[in-house]
Amino acid sequence: MPVLGLGGISAPSLLCIRRDTCGLVAEEAVEVTVRVGRATLDSLAYLGGLARLGGRAAYFTFVAPWQGRRLRLDRAAHQAMVVGLQALPILSLITFFIGVILALQSAYELRKFGALHYVSGAVAISMTRELGPLMTAIVVIGRSGSAFAAEIGTMKVTEELDALETMALNPVQFLVTPKFLAMVVMLPCLTTWADLMGILGGALFGVAKAGFTFTSYLRSSLDALYLRDISTGLIKSLMFGMTITAVGCHEGFSTGAGAEEVGRSTTAAVVMSIFLVIAVDLIFTALFYFTGAH
Amino acid sequence: MQISTRQSGKATIVDVSGDIDLYNSPEVRKVLLAALREERAPRVIVNLREVRYIDSSGVASLVEGLKVSRELGSRLVLLGLSQAVRDVLELSRLNKVFEVCDTEEQALRS
Amino acid sequence: MPSMTDEAQQNEAIVSVRDLRLRFGEREILHGISFDVRRYETLVILGGSGSGKSTLLRALVSLEKPSAGEIWVKGKNIAQVSGAEMDEIRKKLGMSFQGGALFGSLTVGENVALPLREHTKLEDLTIQIIVRLKLEQVGLAGFEDYMPSQLSGGMKKRAAVARAMAMDPEMLFFDEPSAGLDPIIAAGIDNLILKLKKAFRISIVVVTHELASAFLIADRVLLLDKGDIVALGTREELRENTHPRVRQFLNRIAEPEVFEELDYLQMLTEKHRPRRR
Repeated sequence: MPVLGLGGISAPSLLCIRRDTCGLVAEEAVEVTVRVGRATLDSLAYLGGLARLGGRAAYFTFVAPWQGRRLRLDRAAHQAMVVGLQALPILSLITFFIGVILALQSAYELRKFGALHYVSGAVAISMTRELGPLMTAIVVIGRSGSAFAAEIGTMKVTEELDALETMALNPVQFLVTPKFLAMVVMLPCLTTWADLMGILGGALFGVAKAGFTFTSYLRSSLDALYLRDISTGLIKSLMFGMTITAVGCHEGFSTGAGAEEVGRSTTAAVVMSIFLVIAVDLIFTALFYFTGAH
Repeated sequence: MQISTRQSGKATIVDVSGDIDLYNSPEVRKVLLAALREERAPRVIVNLREVRYIDSSGVASLVEGLKVSRELGSRLVLLGLSQAVRDVLELSRLNKVFEVCDTEEQALRS
Repeated sequence: MPSMTDEAQQNEAIVSVRDLRLRFGEREILHGISFDVRRYETLVILGGSGSGKSTLLRALVSLEKPSAGEIWVKGKNIAQVSGAEMDEIRKKLGMSFQGGALFGSLTVGENVALPLREHTKLEDLTIQIIVRLKLEQVGLAGFEDYMPSQLSGGMKKRAAVARAMAMDPEMLFFDEPSAGLDPIIAAGIDNLILKLKKAFRISIVVVTHELASAFLIADRVLLLDKGDIVALGTREELRENTHPRVRQFLNRIAEPEVFEELDYLQMLTEKHRPRRR
């Protein structure tokens, strides 16, 4: 985790030539600069590694099939089942709760203005634009991002990756591409489902406490939503899917020797994925804010 | 590898020459199965005299042909095995499974 | 096959290593070694732990890139070939890893079938027959539908050999075939290698530290010590070799204590190698 790994990097002695003459403060300042520089370079290298891996996966998914290399759809379909279908129960529950929470929180403020009927719009927009994609990403990181790192990491430790190579099978094509394809397809699907469950959660409050009927709540939610809100969320979820795949697989490939290293990779994959998903979220939210005409 | 078929009485003779490997064994399989299934030849003789090397996929194709011939009640006979081919069959313990002849007359009569 | 006499083919090198050097960071593991693997021979690379023998084997199948020198496999320098060319070479070689390295998510049969499914256009039924033939050859008939986790260590290695043999390779590489096995099971693996060697016209390279095993299966033995070749020759030549390190290594059976002390000393004094990440 180079981005977070600011500590523990000693400055090269070359840069401390003036150690004798420098005051302690100056020396500290140099060290901090060096550390920041190192960490920045490490972070850039890490992002470069992710981009390279994502690029190769995209190549094997979208370009290579046209050049006669087989795309193994059966493996991608299997991954899609694991990533998507099996995540549905927990994702439904979490996003339903989030919907209820959103309704309660917005009602707390809206009640003061006697605008309780805006609760449906507030929930719908927050879910589709932000919390649907984000909560989906978090659930998928916990279930699949970590599993990718663990699977590939274990294969590295048991020399299965080497075995793939000696069989003239490309590990990226063989292992990452099906995951990449599954994530790129399933994350927007899951997000749509999450949006729906969130709105249902809001409806629970709306019907119980805000004087809606179930149908009027749904109609009012739909009226508040623009197509742009939904597409914004789906574009985000697509980016999240690529990020999670790249980080999970990258951490797996960079696993060192030994079983405990697999645990380390898995943890790193989760922490790093959450961080990068939020960073990507920030970038895209800002982008949509500044480019979106109202 | 080259492969051709000819008729001799009621029997179909498949002449194979060269090396049978992973990349051309599907053709051997296709010719064998066509002779058995489509032409309904009561006896198919695979002439391997000119075959110097046969790999597992070639052996597997012959095994498949043998199975189909048994199902259809016809006979599959291997003819003129070189030592290398004989070794491969023995290793896979298939020398007892296949009907093997040394000369064409034998193969036609047996 | 080329129109060569059998004898000429016998002496033809299928692998030629020339002045191979390999370093990890600061530490050089192989110090410029040269040797040939002849067609149809079984070469055993013998050495203690830390001798660089596993690294050498990994370099031969291009899992490690040489820092300097050349490795010619079937007339191509694998330090310089393109990825596509390397893949073509790799389809002609099989590798059996220390722990088997079977894919845990696939059954034994699917493991053996994998290279055939990925690299050939064979029909499913043909592949199934090949898989069963290969499993029969390594003594695992009937274990097609088992998962690797259900197999014992020795069976895993046999399954790995079946997978390595799936494409009918010209070369077979073994990394520590008897490591982690009890002596009886290990002897079974040795016998399997002997059987393959007799049955197939195939070049075999085995890396091991087991002296008895080496002398049982080898046509020639290469003794590697701390990244240098100490001796290379037939079993008889090695037995008559008077080089002190060779004597030390060969007498290990008679005087195990001496060697354990040396290993211990090496272990205590070996340079600390930081983790690679």
